[in-house]
Amino acid sequence: MIEVETVDFVSVLTQDIQRAKQFYGETLGLPIETEDEHDVEFTLGQVTLDVFNPASIGRPFSPTEAGIAIRVPDVAAARAALEAKGVDFDGEIVDSGVCHFAFFRDPDGNALMLHRRYAPRVTR
Amino acid sequence: MSIDAQRVDFIAVPTQDRERAARFYEETLGLARNPNSTENWLEFETGNVTLALVTPEQAGQQFAPLPFASIVLRVPDVAEARKKLSEAGVEFSGETFDSGVCNGAAFTDPDGNGLMIHHRYAPYPDGSTP
Repeated sequence: MIEVETVDFVSVLTQDIQRAKQFYGETLGLPIETEDEHDVEFTLGQVTLDVFNPASIGRPFSPTEAGIAIRVPDVAAARAALEAKGVDFDGEIVDSGVCHFAFFRDPDGNALMLHRRYAPRVTR
Repeated sequence: MSIDAQRVDFIAVPTQDRERAARFYEETLGLARNPNSTENWLEFETGNVTLALVTPEQAGQQFAPLPFASIVLRVPDVAEARKKLSEAGVEFSGETFDSGVCNGAAFTDPDGNGLMIHHRYAPYPDGSTP
């Protein structure tokens, strides 16, 4: 067992850093922390999202199919705002019984989710 | 109009074997199981971000592991953590790197999801330290 202190950053791969910068910075509205030629770091709430081109370190590109759940105040309103900016969603908003989900992708095909839990947390 | 992205509620970690993955995250990485977990929804805490195990094949979707170094875990000492994980049978891809400000070593979980252990040793430009 090792001692994990925190998540320093979460990586998302891109094949077009300028297009990704536009999407995460302008469309999603995330503040930029640092940027260079192959890599832009954004603040996504409590964690840093590092969007980078893996070709810059000799790694192949592949999109994530799993997804990062981004908390928004209102999934329907956020979805409508993103659709107005041309973002396509996959299916209808899902109500899990405790939260709402809406599934979409960034321009590189990385899966993302809008998410809002409406039920109280259970502590056992 | 801004969508007001507030935080990351969780990162989905795909698995083809939930029990094997749960053992890995809880016992090998030592992450705390979130008490909100249920039989069908398992969450693990990293300190700031929740990792949720998902089983895409059960939802009729194709399984695909997270790409290279998708989730970067801060540890006090990369060499020591790498040694412990290697002893536990974890496969690393390549040598531990030194970027000039940090050390890191990339590995995969039993499903092939890309993870990294990481430690920044240099102060940030404003003089603060991680």
